[in-house]
Amino acid sequence: MSAKGGHPNFLQHHFDTPAQQFDASKLGMWVFIATEILMFGGLFVAYGIFRGNDAEVFFSAHQLLDKKMGALNTIVLLFSSLTAALAVRSAQVGKRQQTSLYLVITIACACIFLVVKYFEYTHKLHDGLLPGHCFGHPWFGDKCLDHGGPAQPLSVEGLPPRANMFFALYFAMTGLHGLHVVLGMSILVWVLIKNIKGHFSPEYFTHVDLGALYWHLVDLVWIYLFPLLYLVG
Amino acid sequence: MSSSESHAQEAHGHDDHDDGKVHVHIAPAKFYWGIFGALVVLTIITVKVSYYDFGSANTIIALLVATMKASLVAAFFMHLRHDKLFNTFAFLSAFLFLGIFLLLTSDDLFKRGRTDNAYGTKVFTPTGEVAPGGFQSAMVVPSASAGGHGEGHGEPPKHH
Repeated sequence: MSAKGGHPNFLQHHFDTPAQQFDASKLGMWVFIATEILMFGGLFVAYGIFRGNDAEVFFSAHQLLDKKMGALNTIVLLFSSLTAALAVRSAQVGKRQQTSLYLVITIACACIFLVVKYFEYTHKLHDGLLPGHCFGHPWFGDKCLDHGGPAQPLSVEGLPPRANMFFALYFAMTGLHGLHVVLGMSILVWVLIKNIKGHFSPEYFTHVDLGALYWHLVDLVWIYLFPLLYLVG
Repeated sequence: MSSSESHAQEAHGHDDHDDGKVHVHIAPAKFYWGIFGALVVLTIITVKVSYYDFGSANTIIALLVATMKASLVAAFFMHLRHDKLFNTFAFLSAFLFLGIFLLLTSDDLFKRGRTDNAYGTKVFTPTGEVAPGGFQSAMVVPSASAGGHGEGHGEPPKHH
């Protein structure tokens, strides 16, 4: 970060000062976060409408979700948010190894989240609780339609008709969220590599800050997903 | 452009240094752990409360607790509390527009007929006739006027 003629290396030519550059980057990230909230919001509105129409269906269907796994995932993500915030703090005070450590823990928590999700999803597949027309047919690697005819509403658990709508929303919302977990992990790995190479300092930690902001967004979405899908009947 | 002094980046709060350098509020690590503790407590509360039935207040309670958790994450983990105020406006404006989206959509959709459980079509509850904007079923829908079963109009049910 040696300055040439008073200009730090990291300062791009279209900014006057590092503070202006940092503020602009932050604002850009927050506007992006606003767009992500609107994207997830579309699915939340769909949830609101379908649940408003079929409240009893949602109540019966949501009991097939495992509250304990959901709660575990919530704690894991909250902890990963903590370590992401601590990573930013470590970068702000210039402790490079501590920053790397916290970033690694955050990425590890993301992996734990995905593993728990994997178990949840495979359990749903085995029970035939799939969205759309595959509903009611356990998935054994064949096309569900090969089992003969259109799917019937699942009668094993005594679910009412149109319960597949709940699972369509469940897979869409948690699937989009899971995709964001993977994207967030990739971003954090990229930031980790840059940190190991020594690109950051107390004067320049923008990548860590914005990468952590994306991760906090992922956590924010799950904070709302968990009660609406798992807890509220 | 910048002053020749180098400032130590300590937890000042809001400094009005005009040196163009990045000054941020740095909280002690213990503070972040404290916020995490509060988040865990709120999670436990929301899970425990879900085992009781408060009727229609269930959703509101769950959303209230979720919003408290989200506010803690946004204000302290995401540093909005000690950031430029405009960032908070950008963040909150997304929820404002989401609210408008939800309001207008539900105002339209919930003013249509209710779902008939037997056939899955939308019917006006008082009369039982098929509501406009609801989808038709090939199955017989008993009509309001006495006598005569009408044929459903064409399309087989699209739902499964």
